[in-house]
Amino acid sequence: MEGILKRIAEKFRDYRVPGYYKKFDYRWTMVVDLDMCNGCGACVVACRAENNSATVGKEECRKGRALNWIRIERYVEGEYPDIKVKFIPIMCQNCSSAPCEIGCPVYATYHNQDGLNVQVYNRCVGTFTCATYCPYDVRRFNWFTYKWDKPLDEQLNPDLTVREMGVMEKCTFCIQRIRVAKDRAKDEKREIKDGEVKPACVQTCPTGALVFGDLNDPESSVSRMARNPRRYRLLEELNTDPSVIYLKRVMAEGPSEREG
Amino acid sequence: MKRRDFLKYLGIGAGGLGAGFVLGKASNPPGAKLIPYLIPPEDVIPGVANWYAGVCTQCNAGCGTIVRVMEGRAKKIEGNPLHPVSRGKLCARGQASLQALYNPDRIKGPMRRISKGGDFTGISWEEGLEILSGNLAKLDKDAPGLYMLTPPLRGHLNSLVNGFMAAFGSPDYFQYELFQHRNLIAANRLSASLSEIPYYDIENTKFLLSFGADFSSTWLSPVNMSYGYGRMRQGGQGKRGRLVSVEPRMSLTGANADEWVPARPGTEGILALSMAYEIVSQGYYRGADGGAWKSVLARYRPAEAAKITDVGEERIKRIAREFAETRPSLAIGGECVASYENGVSGLVAVNVLNHVAGNMGIKGGVVPNSEGFVEGARRPDLKTDRISTLLKSASEGRVKALIVYNTNPLFTAPKALDAGGSLSKIPFIVSLSSFMDSTTAAADLILPSHTSLEDWGDDFAEPAVGTPVYTMNQPAVSPVFDTKGAGDILLAAARGAGGRVADRLKWNTFEAYLRESWQGLYKRNRAMASSAPTFDEFWSRTLQNGGWWQEAEEPRKRAVYVSASGAGPHLPQSPSRFEGDEKEYPFYLVLYPHAGHFDGRGANLPWLQETPDPMTSVVWGGWIEINPKTAGGLGVKEGDMVTVDSPSGRVQLPVYLYPGIRPDTVAMPIGQGHTEYGRYAKGRGSNPLDMVPAKEDGISGEIALNSTRVKITTSDMSGEMVKMEGSTKELGREIVQTVSPEEFEKMPKDAV
Ligand code: SF4
Ligand code: SF4
Ligand code: SF4
Repeated sequence: MEGILKRIAEKFRDYRVPGYYKKFDYRWTMVVDLDMCNGCGACVVACRAENNSATVGKEECRKGRALNWIRIERYVEGEYPDIKVKFIPIMCQNCSSAPCEIGCPVYATYHNQDGLNVQVYNRCVGTFTCATYCPYDVRRFNWFTYKWDKPLDEQLNPDLTVREMGVMEKCTFCIQRIRVAKDRAKDEKREIKDGEVKPACVQTCPTGALVFGDLNDPESSVSRMARNPRRYRLLEELNTDPSVIYLKRVMAEGPSEREG
Repeated sequence: MKRRDFLKYLGIGAGGLGAGFVLGKASNPPGAKLIPYLIPPEDVIPGVANWYAGVCTQCNAGCGTIVRVMEGRAKKIEGNPLHPVSRGKLCARGQASLQALYNPDRIKGPMRRISKGGDFTGISWEEGLEILSGNLAKLDKDAPGLYMLTPPLRGHLNSLVNGFMAAFGSPDYFQYELFQHRNLIAANRLSASLSEIPYYDIENTKFLLSFGADFSSTWLSPVNMSYGYGRMRQGGQGKRGRLVSVEPRMSLTGANADEWVPARPGTEGILALSMAYEIVSQGYYRGADGGAWKSVLARYRPAEAAKITDVGEERIKRIAREFAETRPSLAIGGECVASYENGVSGLVAVNVLNHVAGNMGIKGGVVPNSEGFVEGARRPDLKTDRISTLLKSASEGRVKALIVYNTNPLFTAPKALDAGGSLSKIPFIVSLSSFMDSTTAAADLILPSHTSLEDWGDDFAEPAVGTPVYTMNQPAVSPVFDTKGAGDILLAAARGAGGRVADRLKWNTFEAYLRESWQGLYKRNRAMASSAPTFDEFWSRTLQNGGWWQEAEEPRKRAVYVSASGAGPHLPQSPSRFEGDEKEYPFYLVLYPHAGHFDGRGANLPWLQETPDPMTSVVWGGWIEINPKTAGGLGVKEGDMVTVDSPSGRVQLPVYLYPGIRPDTVAMPIGQGHTEYGRYAKGRGSNPLDMVPAKEDGISGEIALNSTRVKITTSDMSGEMVKMEGSTKELGREIVQTVSPEEFEKMPKDAV
């Protein structure tokens, strides 16, 4: 008995440090080429449609309570006529040393064996801790139980749930699609192939700026892209070890208007 | 299909009938089959999805789609990966189109107006079709006064409508939509002898010069062009392509450009020609008729053009030289240029620029499409088929009956055209639209049609991709409400009319008509015929693949010639005109289609209402974009309501301080300000079209949206603008990191 308890305690300690899975089965990674992204927002709607995100209405939007899991940030430099605009899609960075995971008192958010930062909705008690710890502002809170005007609810994706009041949610890297691929691969006794899993945002992105795959596989597209010299990660100095890799935008320094 | 009914069908399905039959049963005659994409019809397995191929109708691009259907319900829509236009991708509007299918504000069944000006009451289809037939029977045989108004349809619904009108002896079929590229069609016909819109090969170009063409959000074929844009930037095929954008208001495409050139509104055509002049006079032009071009272009010397366009002479010359030296390069002229009063000449100027730089008919340039239209269909006749002509006939009492389908001139035509007043003179209007838009709300009879996810149809993309793209649309789900396909309604009306009309339109269903028409295509088209041994096989493969197109071959090379004598007479003589005295109305008004709502049709989809606008992050409402300096001069802050007056009308909107706009220009998105169109769209701000004068391009008949000046005064009206952004400054956080092009050139490419 004591041995078991000791083992549990050990395991518990093991699993309480970020990066506890020394080796992931897969290491799901998103690469975003900022030189391709044109800020169109197709990914934002695709994510909404795939993941049963509720629309909250104008008033709630004003309070900053929209439930989109991916957003396009736009940064503007300079003054007329030398304006420079930069876009960046930001979704949950699925950090391997995730600040949000440390804070949650009920372990509603934890790291799984695929390197994903996972949110267990029915464990979440809505303390908001994770959202305050997240440096990327990607966690979204259900202030109400939102309704779908009938028959809009016919569209709801049966592969995942809808969320209720008091629950935190965020981008999951479309875990339901990963699950389907894993099941199929298991049935066929093989590994998931490169490109087999496409999250909704990746699938629809018209410019092809988003690429998804397994970083453990050195031959995968994301592994190749991760070696790109333009690579960086968002707020890397915080040591969150994100699973989203950005490729720098190619852009001239100084004013855009080069006379002559 | 109700869930319980569905389970009943499922019971049968488990006995061995296909999913196609299960779904087909509700909407099609017995024996008809729906053929899902890729997977042949199997039993419906709960939890296992079937995919049905179709075409997106949220804009005119004609993207091929696949719809994920589980247990009879559409769950998700994606781009069809086999389709040459969408290539597996969709834009935000395409993604949201499922909410049109399941929209709670769809018209749920036939309705008729109790009395003129009164309310609608629900009726049965029999009654509705009887009313329609009765009214059509009353028409004079020789001068029926029967008018038809549809969007610019391209598939066999177009040819069916033509057959229908011909059977009734009426020539009055009109096609109208706010953004229907009439100017682009006209410019290509006049200057390049192209009967269709060519394929602009962004993917393979190395220098893209956009004159107000916002392909990143709405222009022409956004998904296909954005795909090309991504490949142009980082396609891994050598040099990274450069993008320069000329437009008075920075669009999303302009925001992604390496260089933004805010030329004075209405002078873009002159700017393009001054670049053409520079190219010819510097000896870059290869053609034998250099002399002719030089004399035609002599009026557009950069030195003079600089004064007109407000773009420096040296800058014009530099861009021109870069355009000629970079091979291949490509100029595109978009909505902003097309929306001026002289829109056609602006676009002819862009063709001239492409011609003198040697971009016509080459890979990475302007690639002509082979004819994609079906026989029996018709393109709008630019001279006669104009919304203004239709409205004039209506106001003169010549329209005895109007059938309108899925186009909404009461919202999209400038208020100054008084579409409402004209339509009120029509004794009988029947709407076949799926939604209660302003035009449908003015009808006497409503026979609601299916949305595209419930209906049969096809489309012939224009522009295609250098080779023709025929897209097939099959019903993905059975009808959600008591609606019918538009084609089926017309066939039923023809049956009701009896006699000659019924004889000429003998098909029982639109599906049968479609199939028979495709059989004809299959017989005539050698490439089609060789792709499958029998028509049946061809048909089921077409349904599975979502259409027919030739395997990815190199687009056919076809010489396209722009001659100095042909294009010369159509060049812009002077900047486009703007209504209103400069002193009284100090600002140019530039209107553009909202990235989500397009011409207003997307405003009833909550997903699109709540998706932040890419350039302002505003949700659930409209706004006016003003340069911060200008706003300072006017004493208005962000979020303040202002009154905007043009000589033709007034709107009130909140202010968004927009750094990417000329100080002498203000801009607004089109799409909000609906007075009908359901709970999500109704009553959200003003419709900027209320300010647009009743002007159209003389050649093409396209409505001139950007043709007035406005003045701005503060307003005490209340109204709120909700934007989702915080700061637009990085504050040293290095969020979007960059490398300079020079540094990028030096980076090892094999690592990629
Ligand atoms: S869909 Fe792609 S191009 Fe569009 S905003 Fe998202 S990441 Fe960028
Ligand atoms: S990966 Fe899935 S959940 Fe995450 S932003 Fe993309 S679509 Fe949304
Ligand atoms: S561009 Fe967008 S709206 Fe237009 S057809 Fe394609 S997916 Fe639909």
